[in-house]
Amino acid sequence: MSLRDEILSKIGLIPAMPTVIVKIRKLLSNPDVNFKELAQTIKYDPGLTSNILRLANSAYFGFSRSVNSIQHAIVRLGMKRTYELAVAAAIAPMTQKAVKGYDLLPGKLWEHSVAVAIGAEQLASVLSLKAPDYTFTAGLLHDIGKIVLGTFVEVDAAPIMTLAFQKGVSFDQAEKQVLGINHAEVGAILLEKWNLPECIVDVDRWHHQPDMFQGDTLVLDLVHVADVLSMMGGLGIGKDGLNYHSSSEVASRLKLTAKITETVVCKIMSGMKELSSLFSSGIREGNRNSS
Amino acid sequence: MLVTVDISDMKVSKRSDDILVTYSLGSCVALSLYDPVVGVGGLIHCMLPLSKIDPVKARANPYMFTDTGVQALLQAVFDMGAKRENLVTKVAGGARLLDSNNLFRIGERNYTVLRKVLWKNNILITSEDVRGTIARTVYLYMDTGKTTIKSGGKEVEL
Repeated sequence: MSLRDEILSKIGLIPAMPTVIVKIRKLLSNPDVNFKELAQTIKYDPGLTSNILRLANSAYFGFSRSVNSIQHAIVRLGMKRTYELAVAAAIAPMTQKAVKGYDLLPGKLWEHSVAVAIGAEQLASVLSLKAPDYTFTAGLLHDIGKIVLGTFVEVDAAPIMTLAFQKGVSFDQAEKQVLGINHAEVGAILLEKWNLPECIVDVDRWHHQPDMFQGDTLVLDLVHVADVLSMMGGLGIGKDGLNYHSSSEVASRLKLTAKITETVVCKIMSGMKELSSLFSSGIREGNRNSS
Repeated sequence: MLVTVDISDMKVSKRSDDILVTYSLGSCVALSLYDPVVGVGGLIHCMLPLSKIDPVKARANPYMFTDTGVQALLQAVFDMGAKRENLVTKVAGGARLLDSNNLFRIGERNYTVLRKVLWKNNILITSEDVRGTIARTVYLYMDTGKTTIKSGGKEVEL
């Protein structure tokens, strides 16, 4: 069995997305869904409910009065945001753990994921672009493949490190050369298994090689730049460090300037502070009704 | 006691049993100052080069920016009795991506501004570990002033 096949077989060991997330997505794909039905679905999972309420009450989402029921949260946040927060609440427990293979301490992959989700949205706002609905979720999930390679497989990082830091090969390409697959592709396969929409899967698959992607690139561009800025800011970086390529094509497509990039870094930090309830008290492990 | 210096944070100490640490520097810069005569030291972790990008934030937290942060650390150690002529000055961080174009060179700009502020204050850098694509963790041991860099599991003295 090749290393690649061995890794692909391990993807089956990752916990499935909680059934409730799959149900929510099905509900939302129906244009006539009403929020009572959505609230009923979420309420069956008390862990998820409490996490959504905690997120809904964070300053990042900008409400002055407290939100104390799921119905209330859906009215305030809208269905789209509720779905995003449900996904965030579902993956949080997985990304809170240490990712040994990448030298990420507990909570660091989560910190990086949230930073990129905020960064992608804030970059769009600074550029006066309308970020599509799935931008936050795509940012949040872009590095999910690291939990497969770093925790479930615990790959031997030494040959990857040598290629990356002594031969100047980007870390994702070094993974590909040594393992036959990199964390972006593994992540994309995992998200497909979780039935996430193709647009989110594509962002994960191409986030280190946005120039290779043929298709609508806006969210990919936003996530790529947010990832670069979060790495530069040292937000949840491990032994892979900053050993990746950044795309000049994306930078010119978005008409980035140094001022814009630094403003977005400031906004990421503010957003992280506003979402600090996600970090300090920790997200509760939800009821895992695995499908 | 292990004292953590967060991103955009600064800590000073005169307790010989303290170890100041700042984790996972990317393009950010860390400056470690130590006066062996009076046993005063400090460590700062600055994220962005110039405070003019967000003056409101800079007033609330001067440590976020290299220009205001380095000045604040110098003032803090001087206030605790450190002398300019005794300072052991160590610098780490300022990393970049592999092929960063100018837009993504926050690390280099952080380093340039840091040197400039030190230069204005007549302070020379004793040693440094900067640039490259690695993430770095910096320790300042207050008993001796030893400063180390940890990266990829290895800890080396700076």
